[in-house]
Formats: sequence, C-alpha cells, structure tokens
Amino acid sequence: MLTLKTHLYTSFIIYWDIQTIALAGIVILMVCLLSFMLLYMLVKASHEKKHTHWRLISDSLIHKAVFDDDDRIDEEFIQMTLGTINLKKNKYFRKLLTGEIISAKKNITGAAAENLIYLYRLLNLDKYAIKNLNNLRWYVRARAIHELTTMQISGLVDHLHLFTNDSNEYVRMEAQSALVQFNGFEGLSFLDTVAYPISDWQQIKLLQLLSLLPPSTFDTAPWFQSENSTVVVFALKLARNYNRFEQHDAIAKCLDHSEPKVRLEAILCLNEIYTDETSDHLIGRFLKESLKHQLAMIRVMQTLGTERDILFLTDLLNHESDQLKLDAARALVNASKNGMASLEAYSKQSEQDITEIVMHIKREMSV
Amino acid sequence: MSWQTFLLHAFTYGILVYSMILLTFYLLIGSFSILETRSYLHKNSFTDYRMLASSSEAPTMTILAPAYNEGPTIIENVRSLLSLHYNNLDVIIINDGSKDDTLEQLIKAYDLYKADFYVTQLIKTKTVKGIYRSHNPVYRKLTVIDKENGGKADALNVGINIARSDYFVCIDVDCVLEQDAILKLAKPFMETSTHRVIAAGGVVRVANSCEIEGGRLVKVHLPKKFLPRIQTLEYIRAFLLSRMAWTRLNGLLLISGAFGAFDREIVIACGGYHTDTVGEDMELVVRMRRYMEEREEPYKVGFIPDPLCWTEAPSSYRILGRQRNRWTRGTIETLRSHKKMFFNPNYGILGMLSYPYWFFFEFLAPIIEFLGTLGIIIYFFTYAINWSAVVIMIIVICIGILYSIFAILMEVLTYNQYKQRKDILKLVLVAILEPFIFHPFVVWSAVLGNISLLRKQNSWGEMTRQGFATDKKSR
Repeated sequence: MLTLKTHLYTSFIIYWDIQTIALAGIVILMVCLLSFMLLYMLVKASHEKKHTHWRLISDSLIHKAVFDDDDRIDEEFIQMTLGTINLKKNKYFRKLLTGEIISAKKNITGAAAENLIYLYRLLNLDKYAIKNLNNLRWYVRARAIHELTTMQISGLVDHLHLFTNDSNEYVRMEAQSALVQFNGFEGLSFLDTVAYPISDWQQIKLLQLLSLLPPSTFDTAPWFQSENSTVVVFALKLARNYNRFEQHDAIAKCLDHSEPKVRLEAILCLNEIYTDETSDHLIGRFLKESLKHQLAMIRVMQTLGTERDILFLTDLLNHESDQLKLDAARALVNASKNGMASLEAYSKQSEQDITEIVMHIKREMSV
Repeated sequence: MSWQTFLLHAFTYGILVYSMILLTFYLLIGSFSILETRSYLHKNSFTDYRMLASSSEAPTMTILAPAYNEGPTIIENVRSLLSLHYNNLDVIIINDGSKDDTLEQLIKAYDLYKADFYVTQLIKTKTVKGIYRSHNPVYRKLTVIDKENGGKADALNVGINIARSDYFVCIDVDCVLEQDAILKLAKPFMETSTHRVIAAGGVVRVANSCEIEGGRLVKVHLPKKFLPRIQTLEYIRAFLLSRMAWTRLNGLLLISGAFGAFDREIVIACGGYHTDTVGEDMELVVRMRRYMEEREEPYKVGFIPDPLCWTEAPSSYRILGRQRNRWTRGTIETLRSHKKMFFNPNYGILGMLSYPYWFFFEFLAPIIEFLGTLGIIIYFFTYAINWSAVVIMIIVICIGILYSIFAILMEVLTYNQYKQRKDILKLVLVAILEPFIFHPFVVWSAVLGNISLLRKQNSWGEMTRQGFATDKKSR
C-alpha cells in the first residue's frame, strides 16, 4: 500500500507542473464567465428599476398625447414630465420612449394617432431616426426606416426608394413596405427596378399592407416581363387578388416561363382569372409539367372545367398517381351537372376499381 | 521503448489530440451560435407574426401527432393543438393501434364519425382502419386516423399520405406548444427565394415543474427534481449552442422528433420516415439533405432559437437510460445508413464536417470516454498511472463545465426563461455536478446502446411519463 502511495505521489509531482497552467487558465475563464453572468444579472436588475421609472414617464407622455384631446401636449408638459432626463444624452431612455410610442401608434388610428405623431416630432425623435438611415449596421438602418414609416414621416419617400434595392434584405423589405404605406399602389413602382429576390414572406407582408388600402388601378403587365422571377410571381399574386381579368393572356403566357415557381403561380392565378379557353391552355401544357404542377392544374380544372374537358379528365382516372386520380375525379364531378352520375357510371364499367374514390367524393359533397 | 510504454504514450497523446479537436469544436460552436443567435434576434425584431396568422397566403401546414395509449391526456392535448394560431392549419391525430381508449375518447369528445376516405399510398404503411372527421364544423381542421400499430415512423408516414398541405409539423402529442409556435416555425420556409428550405426545427424545453393549464404553458419553473433539472441544462446546451451553430454553417443533421416542420414534397420524394430505425427523426433529415445534395439543388435546414415546444423529461434513471440507449442506436443506424457521405467532398459541409463531427464526437465520444476512464482505472491499480492522462481528463471535465456555463450565459442573455437569480445559480451548480453525477450515466447508457445494437436489440423502449398534471398537483 505504501509503495502505491509513494509511486502515485512522485509521478503526480512530475506531470503536475506542465499542465497546471492549462487547468488554471480554464478555471480563470470559468470564474470570469460566472462573474460576468452575475454582474449582468445584477446590472439588469438595477436597470429594471430604472426602466420601470422610465416606462412610467413614457406612459404619462403617451397617455397625455392619446387621451387629452382638449389640451394638446406641449414642450412645457414634456419638460415637466421628463424632469432631469436629458433626451439628447440618454440614448437608452430615448430608445425605450421611441419603442413605446411606436408600439402605441401601431394599435391606434385617427386623431389619437395624429397626436402621437405630433409628440414624436415634438421630441425630435424623427431626427435621430433620419440620422440612423446612414448607420453602417443594417438593423439600425432597417429600424430607422420602420420607425419613420410607422410615424408617417413622409418627406423621405424619395430617399427611402433608394433602399428598396439595398443589399441587405431587411433594409430592403422595410423600404419596400414603407413605399407601399406612403404611396399605396403607386409605391409598387420599386418592382420596376428591384434586382434582388422578393421572399414569400415579404410578398405576404406587401399584400397585407395593400389589403388595407382601397382598391386602385395599377398595371401589372410590365412586371410579368421582369427578369426577376420573384417579381413575376408577385405580379401574378396581385393579378389574382385584384381580379385583373384583362391580364388573362399575359398570365397564360407565364405558363411557359422557365422558372417552375412562376408557372405554378400562373396555374393558381388562372383559378381566379379564367376564360372559356383557360382549360385548353392548361391541358395543352399538362404533359410537359411535373406531378406537382399537374396536380395544381387539375385542382384549377375543378373550378373551370366544363363538359368539353370530360374526356381529358376521364383519361386521368387511369393515371398512376392516386392523388391525381382523386383530383381528376373531383374535377370530373364538377365539370357537368351530371358529373357524379358520370363518375359512378365510369366506376361500374371501368376495369379499375375507383369505388373508394367515388365514396370519398360523395362524402365530401355531403358535408 | 517497451510496448507498455508505447501503449501508455499512444493512449495519452491520443486522448490529448482528441480533446484538442473537441475543444476547437466547442470554441467554434460557441462562436457560431453567438453570431447566429444575434442575427436571428435582430431579424426577428422586424417580424410581425400577427400578419401571418390571418393571411390566406400563408403556406398550408398540417400537424401530425401520433398517439399511442394517450387516453388520459389526449382530449386536452388535441384541444391545445386546435387552438394554435395559424390560418392554414390542419391537425391530424394518428392513433397507432392504442390498446387503451384513446380513439373512443376522441370520438366522444370531438363528435367524430367514420368517413369514407380514399387514402393515397404515397408512402407504404400499415393498414389504415378508419379515418374520422367531426360532425361539428368547429373541429373541421381535425382528422383522426385509426391504424394498425406500426410505431411512430409508420404513424407519421400515414399522416404524410393523408395530409394535403405544403408542409407538415411532426410533434409528440404530449408536448405543449406555444400559441405562436407554428407561425414562427413557418417563417423559415418563406424567408428565402434562393434556397429551398426543406425542414425547420425549434427549441424544445423541459416542462417538468412548469405550470400547465388546459394544455397551455402558464408559468415556467426550473424543474424541482435533479434529473429533469440536469436535462434542462443539457437541452439549453444542445439547442442554444450546438444547433444554432450548425444552422449557421447549414450543417444541421438533427431536428427533434418532438417538434419539427418538413417540406412534404421532399419527404415523399425521399420515401418518408424509415420504420426500421429508432432514430427516424435524424435519419429523415440526413436522407433529405443527401437527396438535395445528390440533385445539386440549393437547400437549407432552418432552426429557430425561440422556446416553442415544452416536453416532459424523464425523471427516473430507468426511463432516461432507455431514452439514451435508443438515441445512441438511432445515431449509429443513421450514420451507418449514410456512410457513403463520410469525408466525401461531393456532399460539401454535410460530408466533410457534419457527418464526421457526428461520427467522432457524438457516436465515438462515449466509447472513447468510457475506455479512457477504464484505462486510467486499470493503470492506477497496476502502478502505471499516467498523471498526464488524469490531468487531461480533469481539463476536459473543466472545459465541459465551462461550456455549460457559457450555455447558461447565452440563455440569460437571450431568452432568460428562468427569471429568478437563484434558478440560474442552481443551473450553474448543476453544470458543476453534471460531469460527476449525470454524465457517467449518459456515457454508460450510450455504451449499452452500442451493445444493444450489436445484439440486434431494436426495441423503442417504453417511455412512461408522469404527466404534467402530476407536477401541477405537487406544486
């Protein structure tokens, strides 16, 4: 036992010195991380108290601006409420106050919203946002655009137009949204020049913003020719949402676009904007398309299919894809008044068992 | 040099080199996760999810929730799923041959009838016994499928066959989702036009001791019991650091089976979930990535750090051991199925970095750790103790603790779910204790997983849960 102890002791001493430094370094790092974390939590807790006080001040200013119609907020009231807080020097308070005003503005409209804008300008917060438009950090620039848009500082529209083609997607998205909010449908002019893709997310956002505006005339035709395929997709969505029936032929042309996403959107668009010839356009291109697009086409045929298309749809009941068979059967049922009877008759005479499909469609129709 | 000395040196330096590479990865993971989380938080500050909640343009999504013997909680869980905020959402519950009254309860509570339904066999599955829809239009989003028992993967495949949406979200039916979970998970699929986002995952958090009411998370608490608490730290480390870092590199291989969204078209093209593996979640992601790589189509796997899904972590060593055993087998099975990608430059980051990382530091790490510890013990008793190896081991343990503390710091700086200072201190204490109490057990379970696989034991392992209600009562 003594031998083991001695051996362990001597060998331990030899190796200890070499690696002590590494171990000590890690322990020091650990202590530093822990200290930083504790310090952060302490500072955060103390800031929390300060923030509660600042929030009360902000609420008081916003409350006065929103609810006091008779006595419009003035500089004297602001000075009195702010007390010793210097808005120019205290950027943390400024950030908090701006955030509170923006948040309040998003939830109110009318005279109260006007008063909030007045307060925002009286506090000169717009000056800081304008200054931030040239900041090197993208999120500061994007936030500045968002802020100026929410507070309807409209004198900068031309300047914001430059940002619609910014290399940063968030700056770009905020600028594009800003243009639509300031100029309505005319704001969509950025689609003429935008070189970067417009994400699906941004398209949803723009459509949502446009849905808040009264419908207006705008020409989607030039955008169908855009080299930016996402612009074409967006133009198709616009045409669909705003029932641009006069664009039918241009939309049908998009069925031959090289970009699959454009072709798919064109198919979906034809579900809303169609003529007697639309099904011919779809049938003519059916075999060239992928299964995904074929399914989309057949779903459109459920809306616009007529007795002329029965033969084509009946053929599809022998397709290898079960999903396509089901959709074709649906389209067949909708294609004529006696669609269901035709399908049942086909089911009886066909070698292929489509009884389950017939039952499925019957159940759908009964709901 | 005698062979014993050679062996001793090879052992020591081998462990040293391995540790150095692991340390480098820790540093990289820490750095990348900071960058990715910062970037996400900035981007997220511009996002108005309310806009998506009401939009008819939002992509269609279907929640797929396999249920097996979930009778006691199924009604509440489904109600919670039906109340999620998302416009174009369907919910499919797949009763995977439950032996209890799961189906009967659903039929009664949601006024279901057996509907004539043409099931398209896009992916081959076990027999579907019936499809149920509700008479009540309030539950028009709900579909319940009754099928022969075939395991989670088979149940999900049935759901994929029946769903009609662009994307599906697979969840464990007993998980609690945040109300805006689907909105947030849908966003990555719409963000980019240059790459196709094939899957997206969200953070899963430990719900033990949290207050759950009506299937909704009301208040977050740090688990009271030691084992779930230690897993809380483990989850923070895995989700906030590792997955965020791999997302930055577009090298993420795993999206938790408890909560993840997938592009249905790609999943079908890949053949759906494999039913012959216990790691079906990881296997599917790897197969989808491989599919995209082989077609040279630009793609991404997204991940968002918001805590969106809360799950009950095992609170007994028996259940935890089974879970870790299964995870190990799942990892090995996946790596084995896709060994073609190992250091294969044709697969880019996937072949050159993600796969080797998983091979060396997820699959091999427990084995090396186990053998290393065993070696030190043997040397100790044969008087050939190599202190250098011991100190390296101490250093590795300290680095592990340091990494955990960094994860806690990231949590404090970002989502800060545990608001009380004492909770954070408890987590730090857990980080210090973990390498001595919890980690050896995890390593041992992984070793057992390897042995189980060699013995061809392929069972899922029963996962008994206590249920949130028990926790709530105990409060």
